[in-house]
Amino acid sequence: MDDKADVWQGTLALMVLKTLETMGPQHGYGIARRIEQTSGDRLIVNYGTLYPALLKLEQEGYVASAWGVSDNNRRAKFYRLTRAGRKRLAAAAQEWERTTAILARFLSGETS
Amino acid sequence: MRFIRTVGRRLGAIFGRSRRDRDLVDEIESHVQLHIDDNVRAGMSPAEARRHALLKFGALESIKEQYRDQRGIPLLDRLAHDLRYSGRLLRKNLGFTVIAVAMVAVGVGVNTGIFTVLNAAAFRRLNLPESDRLVTIAQTFTGKVYRNVHGMPSLASYSEYRAYRDGTPAFSGLLAYVPYVEVTLGGEHPEDLVGTLTSCNYFDVLDVRPAFGRGFSPSDCSAAGASAVVIVSDVLWREAFSADPAVVGRTIVLNRTSFTVIGVAPPNFNGTEAITSAFYAPVTMQPALMRERVFPHGVLSDDNLSWLVLIGRLRPGVTIAQARADLAVIAARADLQHSGRVTHLSLNPATLASLPEVRSVVLGIGVVILASVALVLLIACANLANLLLARATTRRREVALRLAIGASRGRIVQQFLIESLMLAGIGGVAGSLLSFWGSTGVVRYLLAHLPGGSPSFEFDVTPDLRVFGYALGLTVMTGLAFGIAPALRSARTDLTAALKQDDDRSGPGRAGRLRGALVGLQAGVCAVLLVACALTTRVLIRSQTIDVGFKTEGISVASYDLAGAGYTAAHAQSFQRQVIDRLDAVPGISRVVPAGTSPLSNNHSATEFSSPTGEQAAQLEFTNVAPGYFRLLGIPIVKGRDFSDDESRGGTPVAIVSQSAAARLWPGRDPLAATLIFEKKTAVVVGVARDTQVSHLGVPESPMIFFVDTADDALHNQLLVKANLGAAETARAIRRAAAGLDPQLVINVGSLGDNLELWRAPARIVSALAAVLALIALVLACTGVFGTVAYAVTRRVREIGIRIALGADAADVLRLVMKQAMRPVMIGLTVGLVSAAAVSSVLSSLLIGISAHDPLSFSAAALVLSGSAIVAAYWPTRRALQVEPTVALRHE
Repeated sequence: MDDKADVWQGTLALMVLKTLETMGPQHGYGIARRIEQTSGDRLIVNYGTLYPALLKLEQEGYVASAWGVSDNNRRAKFYRLTRAGRKRLAAAAQEWERTTAILARFLSGETS
Repeated sequence: MRFIRTVGRRLGAIFGRSRRDRDLVDEIESHVQLHIDDNVRAGMSPAEARRHALLKFGALESIKEQYRDQRGIPLLDRLAHDLRYSGRLLRKNLGFTVIAVAMVAVGVGVNTGIFTVLNAAAFRRLNLPESDRLVTIAQTFTGKVYRNVHGMPSLASYSEYRAYRDGTPAFSGLLAYVPYVEVTLGGEHPEDLVGTLTSCNYFDVLDVRPAFGRGFSPSDCSAAGASAVVIVSDVLWREAFSADPAVVGRTIVLNRTSFTVIGVAPPNFNGTEAITSAFYAPVTMQPALMRERVFPHGVLSDDNLSWLVLIGRLRPGVTIAQARADLAVIAARADLQHSGRVTHLSLNPATLASLPEVRSVVLGIGVVILASVALVLLIACANLANLLLARATTRRREVALRLAIGASRGRIVQQFLIESLMLAGIGGVAGSLLSFWGSTGVVRYLLAHLPGGSPSFEFDVTPDLRVFGYALGLTVMTGLAFGIAPALRSARTDLTAALKQDDDRSGPGRAGRLRGALVGLQAGVCAVLLVACALTTRVLIRSQTIDVGFKTEGISVASYDLAGAGYTAAHAQSFQRQVIDRLDAVPGISRVVPAGTSPLSNNHSATEFSSPTGEQAAQLEFTNVAPGYFRLLGIPIVKGRDFSDDESRGGTPVAIVSQSAAARLWPGRDPLAATLIFEKKTAVVVGVARDTQVSHLGVPESPMIFFVDTADDALHNQLLVKANLGAAETARAIRRAAAGLDPQLVINVGSLGDNLELWRAPARIVSALAAVLALIALVLACTGVFGTVAYAVTRRVREIGIRIALGADAADVLRLVMKQAMRPVMIGLTVGLVSAAAVSSVLSSLLIGISAHDPLSFSAAALVLSGSAIVAAYWPTRRALQVEPTVALRHE
């Protein structure tokens, strides 16, 4: 089976992209908070682990970053989804749904 | 696409590293601040808010490292970091760095230097256009072979050359040549020249155009003696024609034959050999230019004579295998004419040493020398490994800290290896530069100081890609060799012990054993080199002091080429008689004796001798000498008598045999009046001479057959002249006498002592080389012993202090430490001596008169090594003992 770290990294990246699509441009802390909330506080243990993942997404061109000012006037680095990122998100989401569906059929023991 | 983009970003991140680092720090700070704000808003106290935020963020350093790994290329980052760190470390310990770099530089430098010379001699392609397409062709014969040889057996005959040339489509051209043709240049001041006889397509196949005039055309080689033309070398043009631009059409006289100059070779062109060639003449001019040998069937028409070197140019895209197949067809056809004979062809890329006989000699010597200097490098590596091991122990704390913080052991190993490779790299570059500059200088010096009578050589030792590759490979291997042990040892550091500074483990124990083994290795290798040095030195001493059995003072040897000058036998006889008469009349010259060869001239012929009254036949050397030869050289006739003047004028052929020849042919019997049979001729033995070393230096039993010198021999004789005028005046007198008879004849005069020197020269060179290497090895090995003992003793100062305080005798402590220090040395020495005994037979061809297992040499080597090691170990131990016990006890 896949290496656990890779799976988590892949899903984390997906969650980041989805969060940015939903929330619009956001800083690292905000993304971390939001993911935590959405997953029902069951997922990320350390916020810092987000940053290497954000860097990877930026290297691949799916997000872009710029320094800005937050709600409460703190200087923060904001990330936003790019066009490529949007497309990637759509494709990845589709893949996940397909995988889940196939797996669901196996696990429920149904035959077509 | 994504991948390229990612790699691009990561490569780009190498630049502006510190800016990006600050960026990250800012971002992390901002994140934490935002979190703190939220926490405070949720009701926490500022201190608690901060603590909670930091906790939720995670391990700061770990995340920073993850981030950096993602950002850059971790491998390159780590490499860059290690390089910077190593550089700083080396700069801090400058003394150690200098010593280590010096050791590596000497080791790698000497090795690269030797390899550069070997490369130029045996591996490098010739300095000609597209020389990688040039191939040398050599023949070996098996089965029933009867072959005449001029030079080397693997050469070809003229008919074989033409058959190969015309029948091999694989070659765009095939040339033949005879190297080293000695002729006399006539003129106001006749002198000897060395040139080359070549086929008429020589310059075409080599793709070289003469600087002036034309090359040869096929008509120049149409028949023997057809075209007396010559192409002169650039040097000869400048010397003999004063660089006359209108030289084409002028004539020169070679061997009393007039040759027309049709061209001048380009400057820096020297054909395909190392020996300088002054001219190039068509091979069909052989009868005029190669007269020193008399072959029964003539040279050009003898199908069974080896005398021509063949070099072919492969067509584009054709392989050597295809060419060999083409040639094999023709060779098989030739074999049909000689039933029972099989010709084997070997094709090699053309280098200065591509003929099998030359190659085996050059590579044989080269490999032995290369192996010896490699051994020296090995000692240096062992020394450095020991030094680094000692230093690694000092750095245990630093390594333990890094391991504790989270570095992997692999990372530690990597960093130590980078350090060693850096040291090796600096040393390797320095050594290689030294060697490039040094080998050119040394070779130039050697070529300028060859013993008299040697031809001149053109030998280019500029390094090429192969040499650089060798230097690089050697440097890397050296760095790994001495770096791997300390690196692995450091990675195995026991954390707790290291952090507690618990370091009383430098005597016995694993670390001590490894250091001891390295010292033992050094001792063993040093022993091998010392044995080689001792053996060659003994040979040198022997060759310098040996009694050769004949007198050499005051005797000069005059040689001249009458055959090359076109003399007939009768003319030569008359010339010889007149010269002797003239010389006899010179006051100061006491005796003149003609002989076929002079003692130790190394050009004796040999053939099979047998006797009807004797035992089985034997292959023995022979020469012809006039009556008075033995008296001149002080060789006693132990049985029978010397030749008489009547016998030299003709009649029954007579001979004098040396004692060992007599023992070989007629063991236990009286050889006088016995008949000798050789080459379908006979002679009667009239005397037995005492054994001397007229043939080989250092071999006391040289069986030799002396025939009486007859009139027919005058054509190829030399003159032995005994005089008390001094060498220079004697030479002048001889030349004056000869010039009075024939002013165009070139007379070479040397002293008999020169012949002896020529035999001694190789022994001198080899023993000098062996001595230098052995000395370097001894210094390195003793430094190693000294360093190890000094280090061990420093760590045991406290222990020594305790022993002395408890009442131990200083001498006892000394004995204890010395015993422990010398143990690895003695083991290594023994192993080394055994190995030396196993391989010393490699040198046996040089060890004239000394056994390859000479006990005196082996004992001397053992004594020198153990003695030096004892001194090297004693010195630091004594210093340690002089420390006051109270001070020692307080030593950390």
